[in-house]
Amino acid sequence: MLFSSYEFIFLFLPIVLGIYWLLGKCRHPVFRKCFLIVASLFFYSWWDLAYLPLICGSIVFNYLLSRCLQDRISLLSLKKKTILWVGVAGNIGLLVYYKYTDFFIFNINWLSGGNVSYWNLILPLAISFFTLQQIAYLVDSYEGIVCERSLLDYALFVCFFPQLIAGPIVHHGEMMPQFKDSRWVGVNLDNVSRGLFIFSIGLFKKLVLADSLAVWVGGGFGGEQALTLIPAWVTSLAFTFQIYFDFSGYADMAVGLALFFNIVLPINFNSPYKARGIIDYWKRWHMSLTRFITTYIYTAILRACVGVTFAKAMAATIIAMLLSGIWHGAGWTFIVWGLLHGIGLVVNHWSVRNKLKIPLWFAWFVTFNFVNMCNVFFRAETMNDAFALLRGMVGLNGFEIPSQLNALIPDLTLLSIGYGDFFTNALFEIKVFGYLLIGFVVCLVFRNSNQIIKNMRFEVKWVIVNAILFYVAVLNLGRGEIFLYFNF
Amino acid sequence: MNNHEIKNEIEKIFRDVFDDPDLLINEEMSSDDIPNWDSLNHVNLVGAIERHFGVRFALGELEELEDVGGVIRLVRKKMHSLK
Repeated sequence: MLFSSYEFIFLFLPIVLGIYWLLGKCRHPVFRKCFLIVASLFFYSWWDLAYLPLICGSIVFNYLLSRCLQDRISLLSLKKKTILWVGVAGNIGLLVYYKYTDFFIFNINWLSGGNVSYWNLILPLAISFFTLQQIAYLVDSYEGIVCERSLLDYALFVCFFPQLIAGPIVHHGEMMPQFKDSRWVGVNLDNVSRGLFIFSIGLFKKLVLADSLAVWVGGGFGGEQALTLIPAWVTSLAFTFQIYFDFSGYADMAVGLALFFNIVLPINFNSPYKARGIIDYWKRWHMSLTRFITTYIYTAILRACVGVTFAKAMAATIIAMLLSGIWHGAGWTFIVWGLLHGIGLVVNHWSVRNKLKIPLWFAWFVTFNFVNMCNVFFRAETMNDAFALLRGMVGLNGFEIPSQLNALIPDLTLLSIGYGDFFTNALFEIKVFGYLLIGFVVCLVFRNSNQIIKNMRFEVKWVIVNAILFYVAVLNLGRGEIFLYFNF
Repeated sequence: MNNHEIKNEIEKIFRDVFDDPDLLINEEMSSDDIPNWDSLNHVNLVGAIERHFGVRFALGELEELEDVGGVIRLVRKKMHSLK
């Protein structure tokens, strides 16, 4: 069930909220927690019932191991460290099996010239996200900073439906205390109004902005024809804005939905395209993933080293970003994307260390274009597709005026500049430039959704803005575009 | 050791790690206020604090060290649990 669907907004959400608020009147929290778990699993199973046992099994497996780690209960007289590794390997093994089997086969075929057929496993929804959350939980149990006996709270931490499918990647330390806190169980009008506002912003970002841009992104990346300069740039920029509106829209909706239940989720985006450096960018983009990677990969690697030097820290940065790339998807394009961002971070750290003075506008310009270039690898199906688009962006495929602009631009054929088709398989409309302009303005000028709701007071202007955003978004409901991060 | 004493000890460590002999810290200061407080120096800072106070932070606790106040609170908690 997508957040941006009729059945979710007009059936699932009102029913679940109504019952949850009613159960809040009941003194025993066990009923409302059980109800929320069942509702979350129903939400998850809506796509495919077949994966319900998988997520339930994963929750029980990790819960039992965490209890052994926390209580020093002997499991087949294994050491705690062995239990931790069994847990981590089990989680990663499950993810690797579903996500990377075909990628291994692809590489084996490529290297050996063989023809092993693909297994075509379908990636279970949310597995990439709940794997990370549960690994962090096991590590923290091993290190003795979590002691949790309640299976209900643990299950809710993993499967709470607003954050289940595509994050934010939550940490038990920020979620479990909220589930235990009985002060906020009923209707809290302040939370509801802020939640509704940020949910509407997210819905608008997704349905009106991201899904509109998706048409041109699909046209540019999926075409047979080599794109010339303008369409190549339009394609890459359209994707850069699409993925931000899509993913941050999802995160906004998640934050808003959780607020209805009086739960505060971590912020996932803080105007990333305003970043003036790659370090700054990763502090603003998919922040809950950055937090996980910094804590459980980067720092873990460095702490295992004797003596932290700049070189070791940079090597750890590259490894962490490579793993981030692999986590995003099974393909060389994602590995290259991770590697490029790793290199970008290293260069940024080097420039900070050497106290290079860079004008702020130039730092922004380089950062934005670097991110946009890396996104080409993130979106392209194959390395060849990525290079083809990059060739177009540097002008190697020539320069043509899109024939749709014929009427607007004076005849330039005298300068040997011709007219050409924009995209071969998607209708080009001049309004794509309007959407890109909106993208720049919203991302660079406006305050972001989290800043807006932080100190929001109940005022008529916000009610009107909220109503307009929600109304326009609902007019676009049911387009059926899946969220990009559901594939990761 | 009270918060004030811990803060004074931590200030010396901050001056050393961030290579700024005049640095004055307060509880609200975060990585935004200290230019050299990046992910690399953060690991150095954590290591220096652990050695100085004879404590060991878990990976999952490092999140709490995002500002000076967080550092003081966690050091105090850790030293308390050592007793």
